[in-house]
Amino acid sequence: MSEKLATAPRGKVSLFGVLRSESIRFFSLNSTRILILLAIVLYAAIAAIGTWGIGSLRASMGGMEQMPGMEDLAAPGFASELMGSGLVFSQLILGVLGVLLFSGEFTTGSAVSTFLASPQRLRVLAAKTILITVVTAGVQIVSSLLAFAISKPIADNYQMDLDFGSDAFQRVLWYGALAVAMAALIGLALGMMLRNSAGGITSLAALFFVLPIILSILTSITDWAQHIAKFTPDQLGMALATPSSVVTDLESWQQLLGVAGWIVLPLALGAVLLAKRDIK
Amino acid sequence: MIQAQQLTKKYGGKTVVDNASFTVQQGMVTGFLGPNGAGKSTTMRMIVGLAAPTSGEVLVNGRDFKKSRHPLTEVGTLLEAKSVHKSLTPLAHLRAMAATAGLPVSRVHEVLEVTGLSSVQRKKVGGFSLGMGQRLGIATALLGDPQVLILDEPVNGLDPEGVAWVRNLARQQAAEGKTVFISSHLMSEMAQTADHLIVIGRGRIMADAPISEFIDNGLDQTIVRSADIEVLMNALNGDGVQLRRIDEHGVEVTGPDSVTIGRRALEYGVVLSELRPLQRTLEDAYMELTRDAVEYHSSNVAETGGGK
Repeated sequence: MSEKLATAPRGKVSLFGVLRSESIRFFSLNSTRILILLAIVLYAAIAAIGTWGIGSLRASMGGMEQMPGMEDLAAPGFASELMGSGLVFSQLILGVLGVLLFSGEFTTGSAVSTFLASPQRLRVLAAKTILITVVTAGVQIVSSLLAFAISKPIADNYQMDLDFGSDAFQRVLWYGALAVAMAALIGLALGMMLRNSAGGITSLAALFFVLPIILSILTSITDWAQHIAKFTPDQLGMALATPSSVVTDLESWQQLLGVAGWIVLPLALGAVLLAKRDIK
Repeated sequence: MIQAQQLTKKYGGKTVVDNASFTVQQGMVTGFLGPNGAGKSTTMRMIVGLAAPTSGEVLVNGRDFKKSRHPLTEVGTLLEAKSVHKSLTPLAHLRAMAATAGLPVSRVHEVLEVTGLSSVQRKKVGGFSLGMGQRLGIATALLGDPQVLILDEPVNGLDPEGVAWVRNLARQQAAEGKTVFISSHLMSEMAQTADHLIVIGRGRIMADAPISEFIDNGLDQTIVRSADIEVLMNALNGDGVQLRRIDEHGVEVTGPDSVTIGRRALEYGVVLSELRPLQRTLEDAYMELTRDAVEYHSSNVAETGGGK
């Protein structure tokens, strides 16, 4: 070790700086690359396999649209909505990415470095929120485009109507991105509140997979449960992206309000806790 | 400069820092000394806003650090060796830290160079030894060329060369007019580095004084031996002088220093076979000061039967 140090320029902390800092660390981690790759591959594969499966079923049975109960297969946007079949998995995987972005700070002790470099804690939260929103929405758009690119030749082969410009595919593309970003922000809030990766991921999985099961059981007993079931994050996402497959009686504004609630409320609660609690 | 005013931190019912008021001056190295669990780290965490005081306040250069616009340039902090994501490399960690404040990448390479980490800059931090983690922590602290340097047990896990380097670094930074605040549970370490000492025990500030006072405030003690010890004892007897016979020819003198005793022996024609000042070390002073304030006492091994 030598002893002489030059004088460093005076460094002013800014939201842009913290955002750059978060990006450098986020993309340096293997977990980030693995989860993003997994989300894209799984989503595109589910779409392609779904298209192939339905296509070959149609080909082998012939004219099954006329059969009672199978009319949906002939609906104009059906092939497009197949593209969104893996949406809930994307929500979960990229939601985990959101959990890790915050819980990792506390499980590894790097929170100390982070909050020494930006003592204003809410600025760190703002940077993480922007980063995870842009990344997960972006990844979901890439996933949808890849799903389309792979499935298009398959759909053409079976004379299925898969059209990029169609209203149905555009819904899958954009509302899918919204649904995934919502899940990632819920994950971010869980990671921030629980400060623990395993706990955050388990809670997220419970929200997406266990809560719907519990609500569906309750629905058979009581009426009010079905009103709540419409507002779970997986139902909201699927009903927005694939409205013919997952039918809801909610108005668009009600759906969007539900999404906004799932984004704002956990983050706001987490922000209050983040500002108050000590950093360990 | 760091100013703490009646700083108190309670966790549940336990008071970890108890009404601590002190000032850490710039241009010198201030040691923060105390046994394990005395509240050193908690105090440092409160200084940099990671822990909120239950009551009282602490200011860095006259301001609350949580509102600082130039945090890395204001305070460089080492709190624990591994405040870094295990899967990151030193380069990625330091680049990310530098980015928050818009510091250039050239500065990252500078601190990697001075802390001797250039050769491992692309290795994952998870595989680092305690010493290497400590070096990375120091590199992080130095990144913004801060006005105030806060180092919590910086020499933990360092090899002798690293320990000497940290000492030089602290002295050099203080010489440049910066505020240097270093904690340790070892008095011997502080004795070689610090100009000023703040001693903490069970969350309370026990002493706050220049390091010289820790050695000088005790009375001189000297062991004297002579065949004519009785004569000398009579010659020395007087105001405030304590004499304690330790054996046939030896006595322990408390009060006058060894020069005075030697001169008196010459005046009375007494031949001395031994004249030995008892050094009251910083370690003794520290032990005395914190004896009742040690959180975790180790008991005699023989008494506990050496385990089950």
